[in-house]
Amino acid sequence: MTARFSLGIDLGTSNSAIAVSDLDSDQTRVIDVAQIVGVNQIGTRQTLASALYLPHPDEFPGGLATPWADPGEAGFVGQFARDHGALVPDRLVTSAKSWLSHPHIDARQPLLPWGSEIETKLSPFDCSRRYLTHLRQAFLQAERDQGRERDLADGQIVLTVPASFDEVARSLTAEAARAAGLGDVVLLEEPQAAFYAWTAQTGRAWHDLVSPGDIILVCDIGGGTADFSLIAVTDRQGTLELERISVGEHILLGGDNMDLALAYTVQSRLEDAGKPLDSWQFLSLVHAASRAKITLFEDASLSSAPIAIPSRGSSLFASTIATELDRATLDQVVLDGFLARTGLEDLPQEGRRGGLQEFGLPYASDPVISKHLARFLTRSLQNVRASEALSALVGDRANGAALMPTAVLFNGGVFKAEPVRARVLDLLASWNSGQPIRELLGAEPDLAVARGAAIYGRHRATGTGMRIKAGAARSYYVGLESAGLAVPGMKPKVKALCVVPQGMQEGSELLIEGRDFGLVTGRPAEFRFFSSAIRSGDTPGLILPDAERELEETSLLEIEIPALDDMPAGQVVPVRIDAAVTELGVLELWMKHVNSDRRWKIEFQVRTE
Amino acid sequence: MRLRCGPPPTLLESGGRLRPGRESYNPPGADACKEAPVTIMKAVSLVALLLVVAISALAMLLALHVMALPAGLQPVAGPLQLSAAALGLAIIALVAVAALQRGPTSVQAPVAEAVRPAPPEPATATKQADAEIVAFLGLLQAKGRLVDFLMDNINAYNDAQVGAAARVVHAGCRAVLDEHFQIVPIRTEKEQSRIEVPTGYAADEYRLLGKLTGQPPFTGALVHHGWRTDVVKLPAILRGPADRLPAIAPAEVELK
Repeated sequence: MTARFSLGIDLGTSNSAIAVSDLDSDQTRVIDVAQIVGVNQIGTRQTLASALYLPHPDEFPGGLATPWADPGEAGFVGQFARDHGALVPDRLVTSAKSWLSHPHIDARQPLLPWGSEIETKLSPFDCSRRYLTHLRQAFLQAERDQGRERDLADGQIVLTVPASFDEVARSLTAEAARAAGLGDVVLLEEPQAAFYAWTAQTGRAWHDLVSPGDIILVCDIGGGTADFSLIAVTDRQGTLELERISVGEHILLGGDNMDLALAYTVQSRLEDAGKPLDSWQFLSLVHAASRAKITLFEDASLSSAPIAIPSRGSSLFASTIATELDRATLDQVVLDGFLARTGLEDLPQEGRRGGLQEFGLPYASDPVISKHLARFLTRSLQNVRASEALSALVGDRANGAALMPTAVLFNGGVFKAEPVRARVLDLLASWNSGQPIRELLGAEPDLAVARGAAIYGRHRATGTGMRIKAGAARSYYVGLESAGLAVPGMKPKVKALCVVPQGMQEGSELLIEGRDFGLVTGRPAEFRFFSSAIRSGDTPGLILPDAERELEETSLLEIEIPALDDMPAGQVVPVRIDAAVTELGVLELWMKHVNSDRRWKIEFQVRTE
Repeated sequence: MRLRCGPPPTLLESGGRLRPGRESYNPPGADACKEAPVTIMKAVSLVALLLVVAISALAMLLALHVMALPAGLQPVAGPLQLSAAALGLAIIALVAVAALQRGPTSVQAPVAEAVRPAPPEPATATKQADAEIVAFLGLLQAKGRLVDFLMDNINAYNDAQVGAAARVVHAGCRAVLDEHFQIVPIRTEKEQSRIEVPTGYAADEYRLLGKLTGQPPFTGALVHHGWRTDVVKLPAILRGPADRLPAIAPAEVELK
């Protein structure tokens, strides 16, 4: 296939965007997404609200106008879904993407909206498929309106995922894209996409802005999530090479938390003054506080910004509540609250766990982003030290308490505000014994990921341009039940066999030699699957003695092999494990029969319960 | 291009129209665009009025500021009354435009018909244009509570209450303007500075006041820098009710 265009899709937790790059020109354009913006109103926005509203069967009699022929699926996606759903929260799905990566649920079960008791619910997988379907149609429609009839088969399609997504969440995302009619997509980590966007935006000059020895922190804080990566710059025979050397954990903490915290602060003041707010007024306070925050951050000369909260009824004069957000409060809540000047050794607090907990999204229990960043840099150092190749790559930098970057690229709406960027730079400098860390100036933090994805697709399709060496972000392991004497009260430890090393490249395959495993035929067999983002030194075939202590459990793997012709059901056959990372960046595990050419693919199954 | 609405037939199939070039999103059946200039004019006049309202409200806030001075420092002629008057005028003008909306359309229609063959379904097209104006008003209401602001009895409230409400209107309506238009001054020079009016200027872009004598190009003091927009990007209104205009704001009912 010769691709004629590259389509970049940023499937965000709260907002999504698409960009296209024509391969015969060097233009990359963000495509405005048509969506329902009101009853019988269709408009376009630069981003698609990743929100899905499931109306009551008798709500909106006669149905809503949709931007294109609707295949009759439940609910609708976009701005109006979010606006209207905010007041009918039982029927609104948001943050589906975070549910997709939830470690303890089956993403194919109809669970969303979470905790709601409406007649039809959707699975996190289906929600992602719906957003992607909408984006696909919006792209085709927008191009058609410009007189271009696009065939997706002519395109290189790149879909971004958080760097913190594990293999299960990645493969679910790729499958949702297939189910949405996008075909086989290439997956790209969001922080890398932001970096590609930055190189394209600076043009050739980026070569002068970074140099061998640099370690670049991509700090991506969106509405609901924080995602960190480190990229090392090296010199190979005179050309700059980039390698992603560390990815962070999935942290559910972002700009929305800041707006909420501001709103709660203002609300409690109003309550003290005898002005309670109803839930509708609170929503408008959240918007107003967010606007006031932007105003104060944009204009350093203002000492406060007014906030007016209307009431629900039609009388605006009688019951609008006037208050203000002052700079001291803003600094205290946003800068000192979320980006406190903490030490490098100050790591996130694990919340005190009550005996019984409400089950939901695993939101970060410590809201201080500084501590999460410190933990990321500390873990990155641990990861780098685990491998000789990576240690050599970072050189002296491996000697501190954490792996300190030399430059930062900010991404995500939060960093539109200069004081927020300045605070993070301050913090990093304080951890770097006062040495300042450079900022690489990005642009359009809301759209850079989609743009960068399209640019990466172009590089990939044309075989030209810079590529970040990345490979598997984590190492992966299969649990082995150890054979041993049963001891009452002692659970036998689960050993783990490393099957995929960190950094394993796309399009490569490896067989674990010299070790045969017994596989049961004729009935389903289950395996436990583990991963780690900080064990770069583990090689395939290595066995860890205690998986539960050293690794994170990712999912169950399931395989069912029909009984072989010449053997009874339940017969154990000898196999070897064969791992491959496809050209599209998807991990595949195979069981290869030792005595024949037969092999069986292992499917990623439901998350662990 | 195939772009569909839900099950029942749509207004748009017959009466859809195209806004000049700038929109990236085109509703279906968008080839007939005879009503476009009228609608744009309406939209622009609404915006102009809206701006006047906003300016008056702001002036009022400023006035409030002055009034907050110690009693001895208060100016004699209260700027508040002035801006309240300006606001009142703006409201009257807005109501007038709303009332006249049908006027220019029906007056112009026969003229237009003399120039070109009879439009296919003038009634439907007019209705679609009106529906879009109502929907735009709906936007200003939804985001900036403009209709609530104007329809309430302003005399019953004190200036602090009016000021607080004005902030709601300002923030919301400003967001609507920023999202759907690209509003810039016609002249970027400072007001009161001397500027030259280009020869053969567009009559809607300049208004010459005072003593007009001599040959162009004219020079004079810039009193108001003017406003214009290069972009109008309003949502497409699909499938309105068949026998009436769409609602400006729905009645809201909370179920427990």
